[in-house]
Amino acid sequence: MTDMTTQHMDTTAAPETPAPEGAEEKRLGFWLTLPAQLLVLFIALFPILMQVYISLTDWSPLDGIPWYRAYELWIGLLNYVDLANDPRFWSALWRTCIVMAVCVPVQFLLGLGLAILFVDDFRGKRVLYSTILVPMMVVPAVAGYMFFMLFQSGGPVNDILSFFAGRPVTIAWLSDPDLALFATIVSDIWQWTPLMFLILLAGMVSVPQDQQMAAVLLGASWTRRFFTIVLPRMKTIIIIAIAIRVIENFKVFDNFYIMTGGGPGVATETISIYIYKVTQQELIWGYVAAIALAILIVLSIVSALAIKKLRAAQ
Amino acid sequence: MTEIVMQNLGRDFGDFTALAAMDLTIGSGEFVALLGPSGCGKSTTMNMIAGMLDPSHGEIRFDGRNMNGVPMAKRGVGFVFQNYAIFTHMTVRENLAYGLKARGVKSAEVTRRVGEIAELLQLTPMLDRRAAGLSVNILQRLAIGRSAIVEPAIFLLDEPLSNVDAAFRAVMRSELKALQRQFRQTMVYVTHDQLEAMTMADRIAVMDHGKLLQVGTPLDVYNHPADTFVARFIGAPGMNLMTGRVTGADTGTVVDLGPAGRCAVTAGQGGDVIFGFRPEEVHPDPQGPMEMTVTTVERIGARTILHLAAGPLEAKAVLDSETPVPDQGEAFRFSVPAASVRLFDPKTERAL
Repeated sequence: MTDMTTQHMDTTAAPETPAPEGAEEKRLGFWLTLPAQLLVLFIALFPILMQVYISLTDWSPLDGIPWYRAYELWIGLLNYVDLANDPRFWSALWRTCIVMAVCVPVQFLLGLGLAILFVDDFRGKRVLYSTILVPMMVVPAVAGYMFFMLFQSGGPVNDILSFFAGRPVTIAWLSDPDLALFATIVSDIWQWTPLMFLILLAGMVSVPQDQQMAAVLLGASWTRRFFTIVLPRMKTIIIIAIAIRVIENFKVFDNFYIMTGGGPGVATETISIYIYKVTQQELIWGYVAAIALAILIVLSIVSALAIKKLRAAQ
Repeated sequence: MTEIVMQNLGRDFGDFTALAAMDLTIGSGEFVALLGPSGCGKSTTMNMIAGMLDPSHGEIRFDGRNMNGVPMAKRGVGFVFQNYAIFTHMTVRENLAYGLKARGVKSAEVTRRVGEIAELLQLTPMLDRRAAGLSVNILQRLAIGRSAIVEPAIFLLDEPLSNVDAAFRAVMRSELKALQRQFRQTMVYVTHDQLEAMTMADRIAVMDHGKLLQVGTPLDVYNHPADTFVARFIGAPGMNLMTGRVTGADTGTVVDLGPAGRCAVTAGQGGDVIFGFRPEEVHPDPQGPMEMTVTTVERIGARTILHLAAGPLEAKAVLDSETPVPDQGEAFRFSVPAASVRLFDPKTERAL
């Protein structure tokens, strides 16, 4: 019986070595697609290579020489040395990490909770579902403006707090360094929890119904089913959802910039805002290229970790 | 070991009646097959026994206890799904242990019982393999083991062999039957394959369009079908049915089959009937009273199947491959023993 089984499996699983004509076909395919591949490679690599080049110079558009002659201002790794010693860069990076460390888990838990509620049918589900997805559709800049209004010292947030406190509350949300960061984080959570919810709900719905039924019949409680069947089966989609939000959160800009402009001081200055300021206000593009590359490396590490986790999960 | 009683059990989905009014008692330790084509209500019946569906009317009793409204986790029912519903992200061991852990059984006890059941089902060598890559007959044993380990009083199997290729099906049929003998639980088995029902079940309940048509032992149902549907559905090929007329003759009662000739029967009142006989009961006989034209000859190894026609009437005959058979287009004379003939009412299609 067991022997039969293994044989049966082997015949279906064993990958055959490719036949000789297959290899020839492959070679032909390689040459035929080479021009297109080179073009794609060029499109993908050119901006990065250009950045690497610029980042090794002290070039700025104000210098009056075209970018390809930037080698005249060659400074080697000096931009990177500066970057390593730039407290504002490190504080922006650290702040971005804090935003991420708060936003992603909160969005994940809220999204998961909502997904649990929405996986079963109830009256008015469709309407509520569409409503919950609305924040995601709002242009981030508009969302920033909305929260800018909400958190004014005479704005609705303070009005509501006054109502509950029974006396006028005039918290200067966006002028206090700690509260400003809190307010911007709230806007990000408001806007991106729906995406997390959408992805997680899709994952939760795809957990096979009969496996959950089987678990019920075996006497498993809801909690046990959730942690032993539903969550493990959603592992792949959870990793994808979190990876998307981590990468997106790292690039957070619009609502932060509109709500606070990175201020007060540098209290809400994330990496993107810092880059924007250096690019547009100080115009030292060689340095900007160095920052951008540093971030690319960080994000590549995050993506690589996520992909590795995904492979393990499958 | 539990007796299941279904009384006036029915289920509607909107205007559609999935199950009309079923009365069926399944004895303790009995293996009953619910047999019928898709949409006949057999799965609805099973889901109501398991508690996945609430009945629209009527009730189900386990050993006299009314089960209406009792949640499925509390019914003591083991369920083997059509696709087995194995937890593929777990190992075989974790699958087997799932029900025990859910019930809070101590881990030493879990280990012992998992070991026992794995031994019984020959799963011991693969206990630590992930269930995802296992072949279908191991999955079947695992599904049965996972349900059996919590010792349910009732075992429900929902077409467990329908995803299996034909070669394995025979192996798994006998394996399943052997397992049932070991566990001695009340088993309800849903299938649309009459061969599965015939080979495994103690009794067969034939259903169609939400109605229970006949309940009986496999041979009972085969030999004495209650109506023309059962007659056609059981057996491969099913029973031959042709319209005829009972008349008295000098030698006794005969059925006049028009162009196909006539056939003696043991009893019967005059009038129109549906005349039925098993293809296996056809005896080639040059002097036989029946004659039909051969339209197709199918040679399938040990047996030969003749497709016969006479005017609007059609029939099949199953003969030994050794028996000389006429060629296509030739006339074939045969007789059917009077004792093998079954007569049905042409209006109600019930057995006479």
